[in-house]
Amino acid sequence: MTPVLSVRDYTLDYLTGGAALRVLDGISLEVRPGEVLGLVGESGSGKSSLALAIMRHLPKNARETVGALRLGDLDLTAARPKELTRIRGRRIGMVFQDPSTSLNPTLTIGAQLTEVLRLHRGLDRAGAEAEALDLLGRVELNDPAAILKRYPHEISGGEKQRVVIAGAFGCRPEFLIFDEPTTALDVITGARILELFARLRAETGVAALYISHDLALVSRVADRVAVLKKGRLVEEASAADIFVRPKHPDTKALVDAVPRPERRLVGDRSSDEVLLSVERIEVTYGRKKLFRPAPKPSTRAVGFEVRRGEILGVVGESGSGKSSIARALTGLVDYTGAIRLDGRPIAGAAAMDRDYRRAVQIVFQHPDSSLNPRQRVGEILSRPLKLFGGDLAEIPKLLERVRLPAAYAERWPHQLSGGEKQRVAIARAFAARPALVVCDEITAPLDVSVQAQIIELLLDLRRHTGTAYLFITHDLNLVRQIAHRVAVMRRGELFDLLAVDELGGDHVHPYTRALIAASPIPVG
Amino acid sequence: MSFGWLLGRSASIVYTILVVSILVFGITQVLPADAAVTLLGENATPEALAAVRTRLGLDDPYWLQYLHWIGRVVVGDFGTSMRTGQPVGPEMFAALGRSLILAVSAILLMLVVAVPLGMAAALNQGRFADTATSLVSFVGIAFPEFVTATLLALVFADTLQWLPATGWVAPGESAGGFLSHLALPALTASVVLVAHVVRMVRSETLDVLHSDYIRAARLKGVPEGRVLVGHALRNALLPVVTIVALDVGYLLGGIIVIEEIFAIPGIGRQLMVAITARDLPSIQAGALIMAATYALTNTLADMAYTVLDKRIRYD
Repeated sequence: MTPVLSVRDYTLDYLTGGAALRVLDGISLEVRPGEVLGLVGESGSGKSSLALAIMRHLPKNARETVGALRLGDLDLTAARPKELTRIRGRRIGMVFQDPSTSLNPTLTIGAQLTEVLRLHRGLDRAGAEAEALDLLGRVELNDPAAILKRYPHEISGGEKQRVVIAGAFGCRPEFLIFDEPTTALDVITGARILELFARLRAETGVAALYISHDLALVSRVADRVAVLKKGRLVEEASAADIFVRPKHPDTKALVDAVPRPERRLVGDRSSDEVLLSVERIEVTYGRKKLFRPAPKPSTRAVGFEVRRGEILGVVGESGSGKSSIARALTGLVDYTGAIRLDGRPIAGAAAMDRDYRRAVQIVFQHPDSSLNPRQRVGEILSRPLKLFGGDLAEIPKLLERVRLPAAYAERWPHQLSGGEKQRVAIARAFAARPALVVCDEITAPLDVSVQAQIIELLLDLRRHTGTAYLFITHDLNLVRQIAHRVAVMRRGELFDLLAVDELGGDHVHPYTRALIAASPIPVG
Repeated sequence: MSFGWLLGRSASIVYTILVVSILVFGITQVLPADAAVTLLGENATPEALAAVRTRLGLDDPYWLQYLHWIGRVVVGDFGTSMRTGQPVGPEMFAALGRSLILAVSAILLMLVVAVPLGMAAALNQGRFADTATSLVSFVGIAFPEFVTATLLALVFADTLQWLPATGWVAPGESAGGFLSHLALPALTASVVLVAHVVRMVRSETLDVLHSDYIRAARLKGVPEGRVLVGHALRNALLPVVTIVALDVGYLLGGIIVIEEIFAIPGIGRQLMVAITARDLPSIQAGALIMAATYALTNTLADMAYTVLDKRIRYD
């Protein structure tokens, strides 16, 4: 049987400033009819470049040196632009990472969905609308007629991704590319999208390439998995095998980096002494304005305690209020309610004195925006040292403690990788000798393997300094590896606050149970 | 757009006009112009001057004079021109009408030229067409209106004799005369605007063309022409609405020069005449009407935004 997609010795370079940067190096792979091939790799491994090469949408500086790309019996590299317009959307469909940016904000869902049907299937307006209604029903959207009339901002992220998927399946393509379709969604919504994908795949028998950096997720949706590392295909195996018997060292590293709740990384118990207590704290954004009601608080009367040296995990989807708590604790927003540090009450953001601000530090999600691009690393680290009475001679030691070379003090943030920047941000927090560090989704923008290194670093720092962490994340498996207790938040409320080994028990909130069920645990 | 938003917005317009009215009144009081002298001439006797001052209430305290004036303005009476003896209101609104015709034609002309030019520059980024457009728009910004106006008049009125150099014909009188008299002033006013907007459309189009949803449209097999017109154009034009609203403010000010050069009796020219003649009621009315027009245009632009971009809602 001819494969739906075949890639032979495909090699791709990007020309940057005269030099050629090899992005893909001698890639060979096949996707057979009805098969889903998972493509796994860290960011920069070339997986998105391969997707764009198949879609024939490479940047202008791309140079294809050798190799072939074939869709069925069609040579994609030789296809003319006109031919490509006919193939795209009809024979190959694509689902993108972020549904909120891949839909046009000024066109209705209906206009965007019927466009493809009219272009590729020659349907008239009424026919396309009837077909669009049917498609939206098949991706399990309620009230498709109403959705057709809406604009993208009027439906949720999960609904948007369903619309994109409906569009991709709309012309019954023979091949689909999914480029991290659940990364931008919260865990439960993402899990439902995966269920939908499995169902549509069974119904249509479509062949697909499923791209992700998450090996655990890919091994659940794909038949076979190919692992990409720095532009080379290092291993290809069945999804069932790759987790149990990884052959290549790079695959092993990827497998090891996947957070698994049963593999605890923290063995000790925290002390019972309360470090920070939070009672009935509410954060409200925006002011009351003339003619309209006061805005609703983002968190509703949340209360919890952090014990000395404890790792308290906070999980919840986006909009659950977990970042609002982080901002209130660090005085970035004002709050009502009570915060006590070592029993000392702190009335509000304005009442946070230097002692409090020294003791409670924060590391943000995006090191790109939390490090001043106009300051060298040494300068960034000198600020807390000067403010809280440290010694500037400590800078090399600080860098060493986050496992960066002392020479990095002279570097600018843009010269560092994402993981290195986050290490600098962690070093800055620890320069103040804090008692509690709030980690707000600090590994979310990082690859699983870099995430594993950062986690290891945090645990190491805690062993030496006894610092407590408020570890905010949407990744329940990660939290179950490291936290002593887990707080589950949703829509501004605290649903559960449990010791980590009680999570599997009977007393947990149904939402927590849904969250556990939706977190992909690797097969095998 | 909720009722509350409209209410709040109307209140802020009224507030703006109120503040402007106080400023305008204050400035006309500080001006070295004595209304009585203006009315009776330099050679009037002190007794006659005193009589006029008493009749006009010029000896009253300033706040009382202001209240008298604003009270009449609220019911639509802007007073009597000291120059012509005619009521100021109708004269100023007729002049405003002529200026608005000029401004709107300039803006329409600008849109017709600038939008395609800006998009073409974006599509040919870095190539000759792009560089040429940037260069021409820089020249357009660099030339002041009186230079552009003189050059245009020199070419089209003097040398080629296609168009009249000065004057104004009402549209009701003769449609051809109206358009030919409008052409040069509208062209002059649009040159600077074109330069602004071309650059804006260019950079917005570039942003939009690099967005994910344009890539998505291309990758679902939408032909390139349709991608541009159906998907990119609307998003690229949104910020232009803001620029156009701001340009109305520029036009109302910059148009004074154009109206002077082409001898058009618009509000700018009326205001100039009033200032030269120290015709206080006309100055006050002209300044106040201009401020109100500006405030209203910006509100209209904000409302146009909600129609064009459904994500923006005022509530």
